[in-house]
Amino acid sequence: MIELNDVSKTYRIGDEEVKALNHVDLTVEAGAFVGVTGPSGSGKSTLMHIIGCLDTADSGAYRLDGQPIEHYSENELAAIRNRKIGFIFQSFNLIARMTLEENVELPLIYQGVPSHLRKMRVEAALEQVGLADRRKHTPNSISGGQQQRAAIARAVVTEPALILADEPTGNLDSKTGENIIALFHSFNAAGKTIVLITHDDRIARETGRVIRIMDGAIDRIARPDTGTQTQVAETAGQSDPTNAAPNGDHSGAATGNGIDAGEKQPGKRSKR
Amino acid sequence: MIFQSFKMAWKSIAANKARAALTMLGIIIGVVSLVVLVSLVTSATNSVTDQIAGMGNDMLTVSVRDDKGNPLKAADLAEIAQDGNIALIAPTAQSSAAAKSGGETVNVSLEGTNGSYFQIRGDELASGRFLKAVDLENVSYVAVLSNETAIGIYGDSDATGRTLTMDGRKYLVVGVLAEDDSMMASISQAYSVYIPYTVMERLSSGTSGVSSFYASAVDSAHMDEAEAAVERALLSRFKNDGDAFYIMNQNTLAETMGDVTNTFALLLGGIAAISLLVGGIGIMNIMLVSVTERTREIGIRKAIGANRRSILFQFLIEALTICLVGCAVGIALSGLILIAINAFAADAMTIGFSGSVVAASVLFSTVIGVAFGLYPARKAAGMPPIDALRYE
Ligand SMILES: Nc1ncnc2c1ncn2[C@@H]1O[C@H](COP(=O)(O)OP(=O)(O)O)[C@@H](O)[C@H]1O
Ligand SMILES: [Mg+2]
Repeated sequence: MIELNDVSKTYRIGDEEVKALNHVDLTVEAGAFVGVTGPSGSGKSTLMHIIGCLDTADSGAYRLDGQPIEHYSENELAAIRNRKIGFIFQSFNLIARMTLEENVELPLIYQGVPSHLRKMRVEAALEQVGLADRRKHTPNSISGGQQQRAAIARAVVTEPALILADEPTGNLDSKTGENIIALFHSFNAAGKTIVLITHDDRIARETGRVIRIMDGAIDRIARPDTGTQTQVAETAGQSDPTNAAPNGDHSGAATGNGIDAGEKQPGKRSKR
Repeated sequence: MIFQSFKMAWKSIAANKARAALTMLGIIIGVVSLVVLVSLVTSATNSVTDQIAGMGNDMLTVSVRDDKGNPLKAADLAEIAQDGNIALIAPTAQSSAAAKSGGETVNVSLEGTNGSYFQIRGDELASGRFLKAVDLENVSYVAVLSNETAIGIYGDSDATGRTLTMDGRKYLVVGVLAEDDSMMASISQAYSVYIPYTVMERLSSGTSGVSSFYASAVDSAHMDEAEAAVERALLSRFKNDGDAFYIMNQNTLAETMGDVTNTFALLLGGIAAISLLVGGIGIMNIMLVSVTERTREIGIRKAIGANRRSILFQFLIEALTICLVGCAVGIALSGLILIAINAFAADAMTIGFSGSVVAASVLFSTVIGVAFGLYPARKAAGMPPIDALRYE
C-alpha cells in the first residue's frame, strides 16, 4: 500500500525553482490499478520516482506497506526497488549490449538468486510476455513493442507487488500499445498493484481510478468504474463522495477533456 | 557472483574493442618492458656470476707491485701454502712467443706456472696431462696447450706427443685442455700455452722472483680466512706495506658483480614500473569516460535494484579485467620476445623467463587495476539513481 502525506519536491535550475510536486496526498490500496494523467511537466514522473523509491521528497511523509521510507539507507532502498517494485519506462531502458535474457536476469542477479533458478524464472517471464523465442536477441534487433515487453518481463521477473509504468506506450503505435496495456490488466488481475502514467485517455479510462496531476498537485480523482467523479481541493485526497459532479456519467469524457486541455500545447495527442 | 561479474565485465569491454585494446596497450607495454628488461638483466647477472663461479669461486689472485728489492721465491709460496685455510698455490708469469708449426708462425701467449694452476682454475683435459712437479724440478721443455691453440696450430685438439717450436726452442706437448666455452675464454682471442714456471724463469733471465700467483682456499666458505692468511704473510714479507701487493678475492668480485646487476635490475624494473603506472592512468581515464557514457545504464541498474556495492564492483572488475588481460597479453608477448632474442643471440647466453618478475607483474597489474579503477567505480556507485536515469 502506498501512502503519500503532504509530499513536496522542488527542483532548482539556476535561480528558478520548479515545484515538481506541491503538497500531494495520495493513497493507493494494494491491488489497485491507478492511471495517472496530466500535461507534460506537471510532475507525473516525479511522483512515480518518489513512489518507486528512486528519489526522495523534500518534505512530507511516504509510507510503503506501512514503512516510512525516509528512514531507509540507500542500500535498503535499492533492496526495496529490487524486491517490491517493477519499473517500466517510456524508452524501455534495456541495456543495449545485453540479450533480452540477460536484461531480464539482471534484477535476479542483484537479488542473489542462484543461477539455475534464475534461468527458469527468466524463461517463465519471457514466456509470459511472448518473447521466449527472442531471448537471445539484443534490444536493437527487435521492434519497440517487443522491447517494451522485454522490459515488462524484467519488471515482473522478481514478482514485485507494485508495478510502476511511466508512459509505457508513449513510443509505440496504438495497436502495439493495446497489447502492452492488456498485459498490465492481466498483472492487475493476478493481484499486483499498478500505477500507470499515460497520455492516452482511453487507456486511462480503463484503469480502476484516474489521478490527474496539474502543476505538481493532484487535480481530481475519478472513478470510472463507479461512475463518480470527485472534485478535490488543491490538497488532494480529501475526497467527498457525496459531492458528485452533475455530469458524473461522463466522468471518463470529463477526464479526457481535461487531458485534452492539458495536452494541446505539447501537441502530442494529435499523432493518435 | 564473482564469475558473473567477470563475465559481465568482459561483455562491456568487448562492446568497445578498439578502445579496450588501446587502453590495454598501456598495460601491455608496461608489462612487456618489465618482464623483458628484468629477465634480460637477471639472465645477464646469472651468466656473469656463473662465469665468475666457473673461474673458481675459491680463488685468490695475488699480484706484487713493489717487491722492495726482495722478490718472492718459490719457497715463500710454499710457506704461505702451509696455512690451514689455503689449499693450493700457483705462481704465474706471462710472456709471449712465436710458435712455429710446419711453415706457419703464430703468436702465442705463454704462461709459466705449475700443476696446481689447472686445479685452482678447475680446468679439464682433452688429452695428455697437466704440468707436474718434476717438470718444474727438471726445468723440462714441455707445454700444455689450450684447446683453441691445439686446433689453431695442428688443426686437431689431439696434439699430445707432438713437438712445438717456440722462439726456436722445441717443446714436447704433454697435454691439451678441454674446450672452454666460458665467456672469459671467448673474449680472449690469443692462443694460450702453459709451460713450467722454472722454464719461464730461465727464458726471461732478467727478472727473478714471483710477481703474481693464484691461491685457492680449502673451500669457498673459507675465502676470507685464506685472504687474511695471504695478506698476513705478505705484509710481514713487505714491511707492512699494504700497497706493495694486491689481492683479488673471487668471492668479493662475484658479490660486487651481483650488487651491480641487482641495482641495474631494480633501476630498469623501476622504469618499466613507471610505464605500467602510466598505463594505469590511461585505464582511469577510459573508465571515467565509460562511467559518464554509461550513466543511463547505471541508472537502469540502480532502478532494478543494484546497490552501491554492485555498481562499484562492476566498474572495479572492469578495470581489473582490462589490467589482467593486458597483463596476460604482455606476458605472452614477453615470452615471444625472449624466444626471439634467444634465437638471435643463441651463443652469448640464454635468457630465461624470470618467474618472479612474471608474478610481480601480475601483482602490480592487479594493484594498478584496483587503484586506478577505484575512483571511477566510486563515482559510478555514488550516482543518484534518478540523475542517472534522466541522463541523455
Ligand atoms: N532533475 C530535475 N532537475 C530539474 N528539474 C526537474 C528535474 N526533474 C523534473 N524536473 C522538472 O520538474 C517538473 C516535473 O517534471 P516531471 O515529473 O518529469 O513531469 P512529467 O513526467 O509530468 O512530464 C518539470 O518542470 C521538470 O522540468
Ligand atoms: Mg514524465
